[in-house]
Amino acid sequence: MADATLTGPATVPPIRRTSTMIFLAALAVFVLLVTLLADAGMISTSTVKLLGKTLCLALAAVAMDVVWGYTGILSLGHMAFFGLGGYAIGMWLMWARTEAIVLADMAARTLPPTPSELQDAIGSQIFGVVGTSDIPMIWTFAHSLPLQLAMVVLVPGLLALVFGWLAFRSRVAGVYLSILTQAMTLALSLYLFQNDSGLRGNNGLSGLQNIPGFETTSQATISIAFFWGSALALGLGYLLFAWVVSGRMGSVLRAVRDDEARVRFLGYHVESFKLFAFTLTAIVTGIAGALYYPQAGIINPNEIAPVASIYLAVWVAIGGRGRLYGAAIGAIVVSLLSNWFTSGGAPDIDLGIYEIRWTEWWLVLLGVSFICVTLFAPQGLGGLFDLLSARRRSGRRASYGPDTGAKRPEEGAE
Amino acid sequence: MSLLEVDGISVSFDGFRAINNLSFTIEEPELRAVIGPNGAGKTTFMDIVTGKTRPDTGKVLWGEDNLNLIGRSESAIARAGVGRKFQKPTVFEDQSVRENLAMAIKGDRNPFAVLFGRRDDAARLTEIATEIGLFGRLGRKAGELSHGQKQWLEIGMLLAQEPRLLLVDEPAAGMTPEERTQTTDLLKRLATRHAVVVVEHDMDFVRRLDCRVTVLHEGRVLAEGSVDHVTQNPEVIDVYLGR
Repeated sequence: MADATLTGPATVPPIRRTSTMIFLAALAVFVLLVTLLADAGMISTSTVKLLGKTLCLALAAVAMDVVWGYTGILSLGHMAFFGLGGYAIGMWLMWARTEAIVLADMAARTLPPTPSELQDAIGSQIFGVVGTSDIPMIWTFAHSLPLQLAMVVLVPGLLALVFGWLAFRSRVAGVYLSILTQAMTLALSLYLFQNDSGLRGNNGLSGLQNIPGFETTSQATISIAFFWGSALALGLGYLLFAWVVSGRMGSVLRAVRDDEARVRFLGYHVESFKLFAFTLTAIVTGIAGALYYPQAGIINPNEIAPVASIYLAVWVAIGGRGRLYGAAIGAIVVSLLSNWFTSGGAPDIDLGIYEIRWTEWWLVLLGVSFICVTLFAPQGLGGLFDLLSARRRSGRRASYGPDTGAKRPEEGAE
Repeated sequence: MSLLEVDGISVSFDGFRAINNLSFTIEEPELRAVIGPNGAGKTTFMDIVTGKTRPDTGKVLWGEDNLNLIGRSESAIARAGVGRKFQKPTVFEDQSVRENLAMAIKGDRNPFAVLFGRRDDAARLTEIATEIGLFGRLGRKAGELSHGQKQWLEIGMLLAQEPRLLLVDEPAAGMTPEERTQTTDLLKRLATRHAVVVVEHDMDFVRRLDCRVTVLHEGRVLAEGSVDHVTQNPEVIDVYLGR
């Protein structure tokens, strides 16, 4: 203890460092448990998919926490990046599967199909629903998995970079920036609703649960594989962000959140730091989306409607802003609860004169919880862990005395 | 040789001339007090030098190469070597004294350098923390410090930035007489190595600084010289001291 007082306690409160270890351990246990239960047939394939999707949402929430909770940018458009990641991987999934089907159809013919015949057949298969067989420009790389995987990172990353650069450079901040991000995701979703957007309009991309090359593999196996993939992505993403928000970068990001002008006078180019956080989190959100949609099986422009990004912010707020595990817990708890309530899992309450049907009333409940958390428990669900760790520490909460030499409560545990 | 040369700057806000053709120079090292009644343009002058406000006309020339600071961003000006101490102590209350100081220590401010650069600044941190008397409080959150300690932390952050020019806004505000003496000593000591501009309206404090004084009034220089010289100037007595 004498040493600690000499140099002062470590920069990072121990709870932050141990929280990463605890989170990863809990994630590992959860993965093991789900795998064993699925193997024993105790949980269904659709439940495994639901849990896998939930882990992807948790990753998006952790990213949202970095951009909002740490950097103070309330982005209400991050689900646009999630959707773009999903579209990018969905294009390859759809192309490769359609190609396989078309080739199988043509195999019976005496002459092998020419490349242009093949293209036409794939084109009319995919784009028949929007009344065309021309393959749009943006599908140029759809035949190649590595290129589409690059798109998963590049498209959300570039959009965030350009959008962020324009917004931050003009010093748009606070509620105006939130509105701008809402406008971005709304514009993108409206554009994708059009048939000539090249992404099949309101039909979206479907059949994404069928992984080309694994036609004979059962969905049970595929769902477990994606569940593992999602857990791995969440673990790695968590580690990445825990590293980013520790040390001097985290210090500068939190400083930008608390007093942007002061950070400028320290010589930091605030806009670059905001752009860094915005773009990095957009990329990770895109990757989360690319893992989510093969499990969901379908993506359409509704997925990137403004309300999706608002949900993301609500999860982070309920889970607890400014702590990564809080965001993950918020996303997992609220999205699973939401699923339970809206799928009729919760028993309806008959009040005699009125029956509360949770499929309708769930949103009201969510709204009320959001308001209550914001007003009465700004630390969110994550704040519960503070109560636990505070109870374990020594009970002294007040100062030891009014003199300058008296010990502060923090020093009392020696 | 002159470090900062303010050359004919003017700025108006909604028709009000906050700064009116203001010119003066600051040497390196030098201790300079800028005084003037409320609305004389003291704060606006600091805002212009630090890049927060852009003047309508005029130039602010910096350093050996006569770099024009007008049009540069606040962060670029800070990196060039202009440090600013605010009237109200502004430290990052949610972060520890150590984190506050580490952020301020001179070094590459590029985001990637900040992220990947794991430099060892323990020695420098110890040195600064000792100088400002907060060594024992390195792990404490800045928000838990007393008002005076926050002032010292902010001064420590300024020192860590290693600026060539320090702009200090009303350093004596809210300090006990003992803390004022300490502050005067510190400012004088700093002025042996740096250029220090103290904006103040407490005449006693300025007198104790015992340095060259520039009196501002209605956005221009009314008088300049030693404390005794300016306090005997009839115009100065009229607009400022007479009140």
